Amino acid sequence: MLASSRVSPSLGGARHWWRTLRVAYWLGWQIESNWTDPFLFFVYSIARPLGSVLILVFMYYVVGRAGAAGLLGFFVVGTACWPFVVQGMMGTAWSLISDREHWKTLRYVYTSPIPFRAYLIGRALAQSTTAVSAAAVTLVVGRWVLGAPLHVATIHFPYTLVAFALGIASVLALGLMVVSAAILISGEAWRMPEGVGAALYLISGAVFPVSVLPPVLRTLAQGVPLTWWLEAMRRGLLPPGAVTSFPQMTDRQVLGWLAVLAAVWMVLAWTAFTLAERRARDRGVLDRESAF
Amino acid sequence: MSDIPRATGLTRVLRASRGRSYPRIIGLFRERSWLFYDTVLPLLGTIAFVYVYKALGAPDRFVGYVIMGGAAMGFWMNVMWSMAAQFYWDKQGGNLELYLVSPCGLVPILLGMSVGGFANTLMRTVAIVVVGAVLFHVTYVIHQLPVFVAVFAVGIIALYGLGITFASLFLLWGREAWHMANLLMEPVFLGTGFYFPVRALGFWVAIGTSIIPLTLALDALRQLLFPETHPALLPVRIELAILGGLAVLFAFTARLSLRKMEFLARREGRLSLRF
Repeated sequence: MLASSRVSPSLGGARHWWRTLRVAYWLGWQIESNWTDPFLFFVYSIARPLGSVLILVFMYYVVGRAGAAGLLGFFVVGTACWPFVVQGMMGTAWSLISDREHWKTLRYVYTSPIPFRAYLIGRALAQSTTAVSAAAVTLVVGRWVLGAPLHVATIHFPYTLVAFALGIASVLALGLMVVSAAILISGEAWRMPEGVGAALYLISGAVFPVSVLPPVLRTLAQGVPLTWWLEAMRRGLLPPGAVTSFPQMTDRQVLGWLAVLAAVWMVLAWTAFTLAERRARDRGVLDRESAF
Repeated sequence: MSDIPRATGLTRVLRASRGRSYPRIIGLFRERSWLFYDTVLPLLGTIAFVYVYKALGAPDRFVGYVIMGGAAMGFWMNVMWSMAAQFYWDKQGGNLELYLVSPCGLVPILLGMSVGGFANTLMRTVAIVVVGAVLFHVTYVIHQLPVFVAVFAVGIIALYGLGITFASLFLLWGREAWHMANLLMEPVFLGTGFYFPVRALGFWVAIGTSIIPLTLALDALRQLLFPETHPALLPVRIELAILGGLAVLFAFTARLSLRKMEFLARREGRLSLRF
């Protein structure tokens, strides 16, 4: 497999990138999934998101307010999309940290003749793939078991697909940003991605409309592409009139903001990673292990 | 040779436990960044669920429920990551072999981990409750303080007993240990009613999930904090008695399971299997 993928660095950049990305994806998938049999892996993949959505559903039923009825669909879509953030963003950082600290392979990967960013993005995409079954099962359970208003007739497929693609790009950009920080720190590196994820869970409207947040956090939320991604996914999957975070905006405006912020964050992440990588090499901390 | 006299019996158990709890307690003050992460991370998740209730237009007592859930989460995470999965980390670091060749055996090591982990988590949990209460203006009035303390103490003993049982089960595993600890997060938050009254799951389902001591402990503590409004699963005294039973049960199970799993792990050569 690896031997057949060998390619000269002098080959075209795009082809070299693609080969590295593909092999990194394969490697990431093996690391994520081959610790158990496929059935247990499937159960493992869906248990956490399903647990999350059911917690919200029970909170919803315990309160039992008539005015809150529209929030069920909001919860289901948010919970279905969140595993992509957990796996794609936090997972990317953990891939780097586990390569460095646990498998102790980072120095070999880094010094091999491959584009390191392509390797990281391949690993991130493999992580994101593990979220697909969780998202699908959450949506199916949400529709047929919990009765969320997810109807094929009202789903705006092209809009949802574009939003999804932009969302994954945003997740990768955030992942690269977190990796940029993780590459420079050691002791806190394991906890830092979790901290970023928890902060984003709070401010990006994953499980409640951002309009509930205090003004400062609401403003902060509007600068994060995930907020717009989740908003766009809800607009694509739920029927018109469903609860949203920005009811005053049109669907096009939401998608426009998502596209702009995704592009901005990708540029920022690319720049941050370039600077962080250079600094890590200067300081000699690229493969520094913390023994935690 | 050391001047410390050779200890045997209970003295050795206590000395080994104290030795193992020491790094956990002292680590609380040495690694400040951990204090930040261990307090702020659960708090962020807790605040998110507070806002869910606010979005649902729930009465204020639900905010108190969520903060209690956030505090309980600290203990559950400590039990899963620093008890159950601890031997996995110790395998990676090479400590497990040292524990096994030491004359004290694994039980005092686990006891020390429990005591140190509890002390460490208690500090962070108090911080979560205080910060949560200040941020969201929640006031707690404890009815029957001695019963409250008894429920908390017995619940913690049962919970760490469960942690020791899990630790022995995880002894056999390599990478699976990490994934299993990860798996037992949200499903357990759901089953134990971290963020809502567990009675909402239905009586028999809630009785089933009571095998995890946090279920009954949280329900009893909520009854004592919100006596008029909390939909109780069982009367507090019955829950306290069941928690006592679980504490005894897990103490025995942990002992038996540890012996059995250590034997299996030795026989199958998994004690030093790192990946």
